[in-house]
Amino acid sequence: MRPLTETETQTLFAKLANYTGNSLKNLIAPLDNGPNADRYVFRLHQSRCYYVRLSLANLATSISRDKLLSLGTCLGKFTKTGKFRLHITALPILSEHARYKVWVKANGEMPFLYGGHIVKAHVGRWSEDCPEHQGVVVYSMNDTPLGFGVTARSTGEARRLDPTGITCFRQADCGEYLRDEDSLFATS
Amino acid sequence: MAPSRTSTMKSKHATNKSGIRNSKTSSKPQSDGVSKSKKPKSKGPPPKPQKSAGSLATLKKKRRVYTEKELDIPTLNMITPIGVEKPKGKKKGKVFVDDRESMMTILAMVNADKEGQIESKMMKARQMEEIREARKAEADKRQEMRKSKLDEAKEGLRKKRKRPTGDGDGKENTRSEAAAGTKPLKLKKKSVSFA
Repeated sequence: MRPLTETETQTLFAKLANYTGNSLKNLIAPLDNGPNADRYVFRLHQSRCYYVRLSLANLATSISRDKLLSLGTCLGKFTKTGKFRLHITALPILSEHARYKVWVKANGEMPFLYGGHIVKAHVGRWSEDCPEHQGVVVYSMNDTPLGFGVTARSTGEARRLDPTGITCFRQADCGEYLRDEDSLFATS
Repeated sequence: MAPSRTSTMKSKHATNKSGIRNSKTSSKPQSDGVSKSKKPKSKGPPPKPQKSAGSLATLKKKRRVYTEKELDIPTLNMITPIGVEKPKGKKKGKVFVDDRESMMTILAMVNADKEGQIESKMMKARQMEEIREARKAEADKRQEMRKSKLDEAKEGLRKKRKRPTGDGDGKENTRSEAAAGTKPLKLKKKSVSFA
């Protein structure tokens, strides 16, 4: 387990900034105003990046590397080429700071949770002025975050789309907790 | 001192030579003997010449101190490639970013970058939208024009058909017929040319 290097921090933030707005800086803000206030940090462990309280990260140093499975919230994984892949486990953090949102109707929830893209007929409502290929967080109509994806069309273009046209490409959904149960938290 | 030691050495050589051992084993002590013989020689001379020898040695050492760059020796194939130089005095390994300030600066940079990207995307989308709108309006206009032209032609035809029925004269009728005849022909020609 180690902190991130500069380039790693940059790639991670660039990825997170796809989905979030300026409020992202609250992620690393100290929890209170004290001089030795606890704060959240990013830690890399076996190519996975964890968002974890500093005090907890310090405690975790007493556990040997091969025995440590996970700590804090897993945000995603660094690929061998240095890119970063967000996992569904990062959803709570993304949904808190989301910039563009898509709400899916009740009839579109299950298709999305089974790994399908979002078609226009299933969209309940969405954020205005959303450009093409922009990261969005997907919610159900009662504001429960279901996953995240990338818009296929800008809001203006999507209005002219036919009901079966794809408006948002799925990137991760809560169904992965079941579908990828074996690989989501596996260390190898 | 010196002569006595040399004598001992001689005796050693003598013992070796006189010994029944093989030539290989006998060669080793010979070399030992030589090295030993050197030591007493250096020790043997009086202190003054010793000092001079020491100063000479230091001079020699000073001369010998050259860096490889100064010597301009052609570079040879080594384990590390010639172009790669290890930075001296630098920390080995990765440099971590763990303090809040540097993380904030990176975050601000990334955020500004993303903001710019989104802005440019939006601008592009808006421009495209405008162009699309203009094109659509133009197409609509053209369609309208075509429709109105067709309507006009239809109206003209209707009027000309109505005229001969109202007027009973043959001349006018023929004229109108000729006009009517020519007009459809022209129309036909037009249609052919379009096709």
